[in-house]
Amino acid sequence: MTTDADAVTVQTEAAVDLLRRMLRIRWFEEEATRRSEDGEIPGFLHLCRGHEGSHAGMCAAMDPDDWLAVGGARLHGQYLAKGLPMDEVMAELYGKETGSNRGKGGSMHVSDVDRHLYGHAATIGSGQNPAVGLALAQQMRETDNVVMCTIGDGGTSRGSFHTALVFAAYWDLPVVFVIENNQWAISTPAESLSPENLSDYGEPHTIYTETIDGTDVETVYRTVSEAVGRAREGGGPSVIESRVYRLVGHFGADKETYRSEEERKHAEEVGDPLDNYRERLLADGTVTEEEYEEMEAEVQAEVEEAVEFARESEYPDSREAYEGIYRRPLYGQGSEGGET
Amino acid sequence: MTRTIRYVDAIREALDEELARDESVYLSGEDVGEFGGNFGETRGLQERYGERRVRDTPLSEIGIAGHALGAAVGGLRPVAQLQFADFVATAGDETFNQIPKMPYVSGGQLEVPVTIFAPSGAGISSGAQHSQSVHAWLGNVPGWVVVTATTPYDAKGLFKSAIRDDNPVAFFFHKYLTSREGEVPDEEYTLPLGEAAVERSGDDVTVVATQLMYHRAAEAAEQLDDVSVEIINPRTFAPLDVDTIASSVEKTGRLVVVDETAMRYGTQSHIVERIIEETFFSFDAPPTTVGVDDVPIPFSPPLEEEVLPSADEIADAIRSQFGTPY
Repeated sequence: MTTDADAVTVQTEAAVDLLRRMLRIRWFEEEATRRSEDGEIPGFLHLCRGHEGSHAGMCAAMDPDDWLAVGGARLHGQYLAKGLPMDEVMAELYGKETGSNRGKGGSMHVSDVDRHLYGHAATIGSGQNPAVGLALAQQMRETDNVVMCTIGDGGTSRGSFHTALVFAAYWDLPVVFVIENNQWAISTPAESLSPENLSDYGEPHTIYTETIDGTDVETVYRTVSEAVGRAREGGGPSVIESRVYRLVGHFGADKETYRSEEERKHAEEVGDPLDNYRERLLADGTVTEEEYEEMEAEVQAEVEEAVEFARESEYPDSREAYEGIYRRPLYGQGSEGGET
Repeated sequence: MTRTIRYVDAIREALDEELARDESVYLSGEDVGEFGGNFGETRGLQERYGERRVRDTPLSEIGIAGHALGAAVGGLRPVAQLQFADFVATAGDETFNQIPKMPYVSGGQLEVPVTIFAPSGAGISSGAQHSQSVHAWLGNVPGWVVVTATTPYDAKGLFKSAIRDDNPVAFFFHKYLTSREGEVPDEEYTLPLGEAAVERSGDDVTVVATQLMYHRAAEAAEQLDDVSVEIINPRTFAPLDVDTIASSVEKTGRLVVVDETAMRYGTQSHIVERIIEETFFSFDAPPTTVGVDDVPIPFSPPLEEEVLPSADEIADAIRSQFGTPY
């Protein structure tokens, strides 16, 4: 496993950008948790605490026109890191008409075609083949864009994940598979799976593989940048395992009886990517305490505005439930027919 | 002017013309390339359009259907073949959860102009996992446009429209009909989706049937020289053209729905229910449904023929509408 958690190795501007991305994710989720507990946000809420560095580093490695198909159940951070406006994501969590999907998707299904966010196959592990198809479209249309797709350790047990590797290798497609291994598929430990590294799953297909410390945002940024660059230059797919710790339960009501107190303590001590990175940037002077506090205040204000926006937005009209199932008219429907 | 072609050639001509017409169309599936498909439906296309646009795939329906979904979102117009209609189940999540739902859950952002096509139906002793008619399965999932082909004219005109349509379309041709001949126009044509066809006009009873069952219903109608039978081919099962069937029943007062799908929770009862809701007071007799009994399609020819509705059985069902015991 590659680990390089000592020095700040990116330019100041890039470091500040990574830190800000991580902060936005953390503050967004902490507020979303409160709003969910208060009953304002309906449905499930799968939090990503512990994944922030992986999400931020991965998305910072992409060009804006590169596509992202998200997976792995920890999603909000990926939406934000891909560049979606916080207020549209929050409004979608609320089920409001101003949400990214106009309230039709919710927490698990945020899409943004303009920003090349495909969305999520919430059945877990079914987003990889659509990502392969998106990559085929980039290759056939010669767009120069790369497709990234993420999956959790749990999802790698789905046959569809392995099929996607077969197809990506078969057509040598510009796609990067990122496995965010947070050690737990709800209550099933990743270490109970047989491969030493989950990236090993790429090896039979002669796909480039690497396993990295995903709690270190710069390691993720650097490794994924290389994979994206390779894909863009025609070097084909990669499988990157980004190892993180899930610092929270699967969802709010998860009592985490499967996790030992010892492991939880260890994870909290070494696995908080935001605390780790902030301390590093402060220690080597990349940012000052004042700059950090200013950034935090800005992000906090952005989150408050997003909540305000979501609260004040209207729910969709109930008739909207029946819209958007088909694009109508169907081909030829209602015309005289026969001739084209 | 028209010419006579085989049903399978109609499939191939539709693919050929749409590949020629639109650069964003590409064909993928198992053995669609040099091999030319199990029934010859893709023969010669790879030679004409190259490996870039006529793509053999590894053996995985998950990969075929799943990648086609993403390619459609990425701006292509994928036409993806499954070797048998039964195999929509091996791409179950793609078929039931992903392709039909992503346009909706994205709030209309994702456009998925994908066509999945496959041979369906029984009659050639291909056993329980290569003989099913699955348009009832897909018809149960909002988001799919579900189309069946009955004649070469249908096969070509509807397939071309399926490829051009901006929704996910499942297009099923029937493996027993592949060498059946029929007339198609010399000039280019398409047929509208979402519209049923009145294939035969009559006054006494409306029979709804598609694919092989249509041909058997037509035979039954010929047998019954004392009954004037109107036959309607739905062509698109979802969304269903209720109006055309209801108008016919308003004229005839009687309805027999025949389909090769299993009877339980099937297309037959759905169509009957829709027409009853639409025009209850037009009925002069309770409607009759005919389909495959609730068993897997058996292999042995006499067993297979036993469970498929025959022309005689359809004729009996029609007679029963006039008080003759069925």
